[in-house]
Amino acid sequence: MTAADPRSAGPALPSAGWEIAGTDPVPTEEPAIAVRLDEVVKQYPNGKNALVDVDLVIPEGDFVFLVGPSGAGKSTLIKILVHDEVATSGYVEVAGRDLTRMSRRQVPRLRREIGIVFQDFRLLPRKTVRENIAFALEVTGTKGPRIRDTVERLLALVGLTDQADQLPGTLSGGEMQRTAIARAMVHDPRLVIADEPTGNLDPLISWEIIQLLLRINEMGTTVLMATHDAEVVTALRKRVVALEGGRIIRDEVGGYHRDYA
Amino acid sequence: MHLIRFSIRQSLEGLGRNRVMTLAASVTMVLMLVLLASLVVVLAGMQAGLAFVEGKVEVRAELAGGAPANLVFGLQERLEALPEVAEVRYISREEALEEFRARRAEAGEEDLSAYAGYNPFPAQLSIRLRDPRQSSQVLSVLLEEGGLVERVVEQQKVIDRLVGVTALLRTVGVAILVLVGLTVLLIVVNSIRMAMMVREQEIEIMRLVGASDTYIRWPFIVEGVLIGLIGAGVTLLLLVVAYGPISQLANIVAGQVPVGFSEALVAQVAILVLGAGLLLGGVGAWISVRTYLRRA
Repeated sequence: MTAADPRSAGPALPSAGWEIAGTDPVPTEEPAIAVRLDEVVKQYPNGKNALVDVDLVIPEGDFVFLVGPSGAGKSTLIKILVHDEVATSGYVEVAGRDLTRMSRRQVPRLRREIGIVFQDFRLLPRKTVRENIAFALEVTGTKGPRIRDTVERLLALVGLTDQADQLPGTLSGGEMQRTAIARAMVHDPRLVIADEPTGNLDPLISWEIIQLLLRINEMGTTVLMATHDAEVVTALRKRVVALEGGRIIRDEVGGYHRDYA
Repeated sequence: MHLIRFSIRQSLEGLGRNRVMTLAASVTMVLMLVLLASLVVVLAGMQAGLAFVEGKVEVRAELAGGAPANLVFGLQERLEALPEVAEVRYISREEALEEFRARRAEAGEEDLSAYAGYNPFPAQLSIRLRDPRQSSQVLSVLLEEGGLVERVVEQQKVIDRLVGVTALLRTVGVAILVLVGLTVLLIVVNSIRMAMMVREQEIEIMRLVGASDTYIRWPFIVEGVLIGLIGAGVTLLLLVVAYGPISQLANIVAGQVPVGFSEALVAQVAILVLGAGLLLGGVGAWISVRTYLRRA
């Protein structure tokens, strides 16, 4: 993270403030928080508890794996982070915004701070790679020349400049996922959430995608990746948060993957 | 500006992609608008006809033969004093005969009075009313005159019937129009709902990447308005084509009654058709989009 990052300042991050209060008033030293969950509970209308007392802090710039068996609450957690679902109780903060007190109108702004990538890519089949990426800018009111510049930059970042005019149907799985990642990056998000991004890809291609996410992380973006891919998690030795039955059962930096593959 | 361009592009694409539904919505829209235009034109025609007939209507009092002139004059003055009377005219026997002959000649028919050998017409008082529906006062004055007035000829019943028909037509027409309008509204709502379902994936991605509701909503509202515009356009085209035959028909039916298609009426109908089309399209789409976004 750059020292001049303006996001680390300001009243939106009170918790980061008190940790160093009185000792070092220079705000540039604070670790800014990308995600903070305090005692988050999510109960669905059918009475099922999807999340129970979840506490989680992800500082900006981190790369975090989210692991756990199916039904452990990974999807619910991600939905809460993008405000697709609202926590039943507890405090949720993403990119400096309090999601527990967020109105409908504020959600689009939040979503522009978060890039989301899915296992099934979710590309528009009638649009080319370039159009798929540009669409995300168009619908958020970006002007033409800026769209073109941003799209070209992102095509270069994910290495799809040569395939820019192809339709998703003619692409390989890896190329489709790279398109989706480029689309997720259009607003220079502070946080990228990848939900099983390699779930449909073979191991070699999976590594390409991981490499791309690592590069994005090195450029300063926080990455939260939900995965079943034990090999990847073990090899990278990043922070691993394990969910089971709606609870965080393990949260270790440089962790491993045990039996959740 | 950007939003407008985006909405128009998306909605045109949507209309093209969803042709059957677009067609169904537009056709019912045309049906409804044609109905609306016809109703307005017919009612305007009836209104004009009514006004024309009402202007001509009068109560005629046929005077007894040899009624003294001073008494007739007195009666005339008393009638003129009534507030609902516009004008009282004395028609002598000779004038009555002349009137009859003139009417026959105008209609191109034989002068039957020549066969009579004498003038069969009595002298008359012709009373024009300000409001033809208020003749009771006049009638009672005339009836009091027992000896002086032989017979009262009223055209009132014709008017009553015309007024009744016009009112009935208006009621029935408006009722049908409301029903058809509701149907059109529902079809537009449904058509836009289908358009949104076709674009479900696109809407989901728009939400994902942080598009505001405005950007999600407007392409569909524009789509509804465009359906209205297509409907109104086709309707106006039909009316232009049908204008000649209809006015001819109206002339035959109405005879010398001027059921004029004035330019003002044509402009009114055009604006009404266009306005109704755009409004129904827009409102239908709005309802559809609102309920969809609430649910999602």
